[in-house]
Amino acid sequence: MGRQGLSLNELVVMRGGRSVLDGLTLSVPAGHIYALLGGNGAGKSTALFATLGLLPVMSGQVLVDGKDPAEEPDAVRAAIAYLSETVALYEHLTARENVDYFLSLANQSRTNAEIVEAFAQVRLDPTAQDQRLSAFSKGMRQKTAIALALLRKTPVLLLDEPTTGLDPQATQDFHALLLDLKASDVAILMVTHDLLGAVDVADTIGLIIDGKLASQWQAQSTLPRFDLQALYGAFTQARAGNTPV
Amino acid sequence: MKHVWREINFLVRQRASVWAIALLAGLAALSVGLGLQEVARQKAAMSEVIALQKKDTAAIKVFATDAGDAAYYRFHPTWDPPSALAFAALGQRDIAPSTLRIRALALEGQIYENEAQNPELALPGRFDFAFVLIYLAPLVLVVLFYDLWSGEREAGRLSSLQAVPKAWVRIWLPRVAARFGLVSSVLVVVFWGGALISGAGIGDTIAFTALILALLGFWTLIATWVAKGAGSSPTNAAVLATIWFVITLIAPAGSNLVINAATPIPDGAAIMRENREAVHDAWDIDRDATLQRFYKLYPEYATSPPMQRPFEWKWYYAFQHLGDQQVEPLSTAYRAGIVEREARAGLVALALPPIAIQRALYRIAGTDMSAQWDYQDRIRAYHTQLRTYYYPFLFSAKPFTSADFDAAPAYAPR
Repeated sequence: MGRQGLSLNELVVMRGGRSVLDGLTLSVPAGHIYALLGGNGAGKSTALFATLGLLPVMSGQVLVDGKDPAEEPDAVRAAIAYLSETVALYEHLTARENVDYFLSLANQSRTNAEIVEAFAQVRLDPTAQDQRLSAFSKGMRQKTAIALALLRKTPVLLLDEPTTGLDPQATQDFHALLLDLKASDVAILMVTHDLLGAVDVADTIGLIIDGKLASQWQAQSTLPRFDLQALYGAFTQARAGNTPV
Repeated sequence: MKHVWREINFLVRQRASVWAIALLAGLAALSVGLGLQEVARQKAAMSEVIALQKKDTAAIKVFATDAGDAAYYRFHPTWDPPSALAFAALGQRDIAPSTLRIRALALEGQIYENEAQNPELALPGRFDFAFVLIYLAPLVLVVLFYDLWSGEREAGRLSSLQAVPKAWVRIWLPRVAARFGLVSSVLVVVFWGGALISGAGIGDTIAFTALILALLGFWTLIATWVAKGAGSSPTNAAVLATIWFVITLIAPAGSNLVINAATPIPDGAAIMRENREAVHDAWDIDRDATLQRFYKLYPEYATSPPMQRPFEWKWYYAFQHLGDQQVEPLSTAYRAGIVEREARAGLVALALPPIAIQRALYRIAGTDMSAQWDYQDRIRAYHTQLRTYYYPFLFSAKPFTSADFDAAPAYAPR
């Protein structure tokens, strides 16, 4: 059976007595990039935490490669590579040691050739691989994290604000990596504020407002892929607190 | 186990952790070294006292031709040799005498005479392995644990780590085990080194090791419980430092004050003073009355002929013993009070595991209060042996020869 991607169905998550997700529904098939946009506090990161099984779901269902995190949390976590906004790696370890460490946490091991190939794939300078992360730029850290995601070979990749703090070239390189991962049938859910970045790589863009999917746009097969004016209008209205029509 | 090894490797890559553990190792090694040195010093002092006493005894033998002179001038050394584990927990050995030269005179004054020297020794305390274990090792655990979760949260890694399958088994328990294991290993290895050098028995060494692990286990649980909470790293550090302060310093000191206030005991120096006064007053009491009081205690000598001269040794030794008898209620009350305080401190220790463990360490090392009582009991028993050895020569006019001088009982340490 092929990869089944990720789906959230009528998801309700409560935090601090209020609904942070209020019936969120979206689907990310294998080999697909879904960009979830929304303002601060709209519920974007909560959707990722619920997918990882780190938050209890009041109602609705999450399915990760066909598995429900409420029933099989470890199997679901094994199927997900997650990149947090802060690129959560260890400063005192080298890029190589970070990769080894996190692979070990996931109970996985890769050959030296595979690791070298992953670093080459993310275009991380070979001389940097044995340097401590404390000397890395955010772009280099991001590449290290993506190399780890490649090596994890998971069917689902969750990204939390992945391009925050990246310069344009680094953002472009990062998008290229995402497209590589997409090509290898990975389902990618990316929550972001970066509308233009989402337009560049996403197959679907969803706009979340108050925990609900307010609008959703599919990429066109011809350029321009998205109606940027409509997207921008909806996004700015959402940030201003008005639900777009 | 592979997860624990991985976390140990991970931990030793962190400079602050390495420094904390290295500091602990250094202090533990220093404490063991100083403990071994102190034990060696005590043994050397005992040997010296015994050797010098032999010379002194030989000199006295030349002129002490009767039992009275011999019993009066001759000191008899007693000593309490340190156990093989005393180096690790010196306990009461720094404030209680471990050698005492006694004569067949009134004993209580001789016993409590030493107390006058002790407060200045008690003030700084000893830097021994037990001190490092009870007071310093928990602080190192605090350093290693306080940001175990909060540090990851503050660095933005916590959600990534929690997203790892079986995170408790693969990350958190191994991290706790790595910290506990490293600190335990350092202390146990250093302690075993000392135990090997001092020739400690395997049973006591294992028991001592179990107590080391129990104490570190206790603090590991506390530190894990606090670190797992939602507090920030500075908050966790402050909470753990406060818990350490309360458990190891405030609560024991406070309970000690309460126990001492609730269980008053006579002053040891007062016993010595009253003993001396009783003996000195005896010079002014009717001699025959003194002897009659003595004969009630030792009726076998009641047929001893009346005193012919103003001074006779038998009268002198009789009032020495009666001096001890006079302060016996005070001495008994003193001991009962100390025992009562000990019992109450034992109850307090039930609520303060580190203190309970410290008491157990002293017990195993033979340096606790009961070991001191044991030594004092031996001194008393030996003193009785001495007195009753000389009595037949004093009260029954048994001839005292050079051989009798040599045949005086010798002290047998534990």
